[in-house]
Amino acid sequence: MGEITIVAFERAVRTTAATVLRNEQHFSDLDALAGDGDFGASLAAGFRVIEADLPSLDKSTIGAFLLKLSMIISKHVGGSSGPLWGTAFMRAGMLCKDKTSITLEDLEKIASAAIEGIQQRGGALPGDKTLIDVLIPIRDTIGEHVRGDGDNHAALRNATAAAEDAAERAKSWVARRGRQQFTGDRSIGTPDPGMVAVATILSDLCAEFGVSRPKVDA
Amino acid sequence: MKKFLNDPNKFVAEMLEGVHLANPGKFKLVPEFNLLYRSDRPDNSKVSVVQGSGSGHEPAHIMAVGPGMLDAASPGAVFAAPPVDTCYECIKALKSDKGVLVLINNYQGDRMSWDMAIELAQAEGINVKSFIINDDVSVPDSTYSIGRRGVAGNFFVIKACGAAAERGASLDELLKLCEKVNGQVRSMGVALTSCVPPLKGTQLFEIGDDEMEVGIGIHGEPGRRRDKLKPADAIVDEMFDAVAGDLPFKSGDRVAVMINGLGGTPISELYVLYRRAAQRCQQAGLTVVRNYVGEYCTSLEMAGASLTLLRLDAELEDLLAAPAEIPIRVF
Repeated sequence: MGEITIVAFERAVRTTAATVLRNEQHFSDLDALAGDGDFGASLAAGFRVIEADLPSLDKSTIGAFLLKLSMIISKHVGGSSGPLWGTAFMRAGMLCKDKTSITLEDLEKIASAAIEGIQQRGGALPGDKTLIDVLIPIRDTIGEHVRGDGDNHAALRNATAAAEDAAERAKSWVARRGRQQFTGDRSIGTPDPGMVAVATILSDLCAEFGVSRPKVDA
Repeated sequence: MKKFLNDPNKFVAEMLEGVHLANPGKFKLVPEFNLLYRSDRPDNSKVSVVQGSGSGHEPAHIMAVGPGMLDAASPGAVFAAPPVDTCYECIKALKSDKGVLVLINNYQGDRMSWDMAIELAQAEGINVKSFIINDDVSVPDSTYSIGRRGVAGNFFVIKACGAAAERGASLDELLKLCEKVNGQVRSMGVALTSCVPPLKGTQLFEIGDDEMEVGIGIHGEPGRRRDKLKPADAIVDEMFDAVAGDLPFKSGDRVAVMINGLGGTPISELYVLYRRAAQRCQQAGLTVVRNYVGEYCTSLEMAGASLTLLRLDAELEDLLAAPAEIPIRVF
């Protein structure tokens, strides 16, 4: 299938910002269950700046664009989300230094780099109920399509399903990182807001890029 | 709490502007990144030594920039780590053929910002390395740090590295020096009052009129315990026992001693504290080679003080004796 261009990246970022801003209260409410209730506001603070600056950001290459986003996120997103999401965008950007388009295989490598960056920055392990517990299934799904049908849209469709599934299953886990870790068993039964946020973003990206999703019984 | 403030949002910027104006020709100021650096830096024959943590600890670090000390400082907002772009721009502005040394006090925010900035800079081929300072013996982990916090002992790392860098030491030599100083310096502080960050407008934490916080952090982090205020000698005794006992310092050691005011304590009281510290050193068989009594690493207007001991050897004695000049003090 086709390459993923800088234009597609910009569209994806615009959609992501809209998703984050629209869900600011919802994400904060999720965070209030076993955290300090500021995740939605923290993320929105960064993406508000991104949305406003989007027209003027350096889009000469995908790498330059992602690095700029990384700086904005690190600077404006509070708590630990800033450095973690910022690192993810930074590692992604460093891999795309001079590229104006990437392949699905590149996307798999970017996802791996983001995961590694977050692990190094925050020290999380798989199963700690953090961002990487949703990014790993996403990366793995992309990998299946890289070595399978090479279909970008199918990869997005199935990565979204994997993310939603991961966020749902992780509800029953005990959080071992981040603010939730201090709540011990109180974190069982509550979603991780970061995982939910990523799944929600992917779902909205499906809609934006016309990727049909099978109807699920409510 | 009454302060000298205009718009609290501009407190740090106005402070930087004041420092810059007070030292015509000596520094360059980049207001966008709270960056102040020596006009004669970078120098490709010297490693650039830089630091940036939160504001509110002055003279650390913006007023520790000058010959023989830091080459640059890029602080964040009061008690907040500088953002990644500030750290990155600081490294970039100070890049040198001999490399850049970033000194970092052990707080999560500072580490994350500088780690990211260093990654970005290294990806562009800039030779930059960092060292984490963690001299505070008060608590094993703290509100904003995993592991011990970096506090007033930071000053000695800066002084040693600043002197060595001025003499042309390499980046690797400076890192070894950092290991030595950090490995032989220990600190602990006690707070008598809280402080009011300008933007917060209210006390950082509650503390009774007759209470003290033993092992206070410089951002108001809790220490070992809250206690009733004791006489000065008893406070020094507790700090001395904790600090000297941690390395441990031994009879025969040659040391530097610092009584650091946290910002709201008059220098007269700091000398009362020093009196007891000097007595304890003598009793313990420690030879005080140099002493430092004053404000080196504060917490806005918090009344309180910290004790730092540094075990010396010939190299460190030589480096501490080297001349240096910063905006508020000539050595």
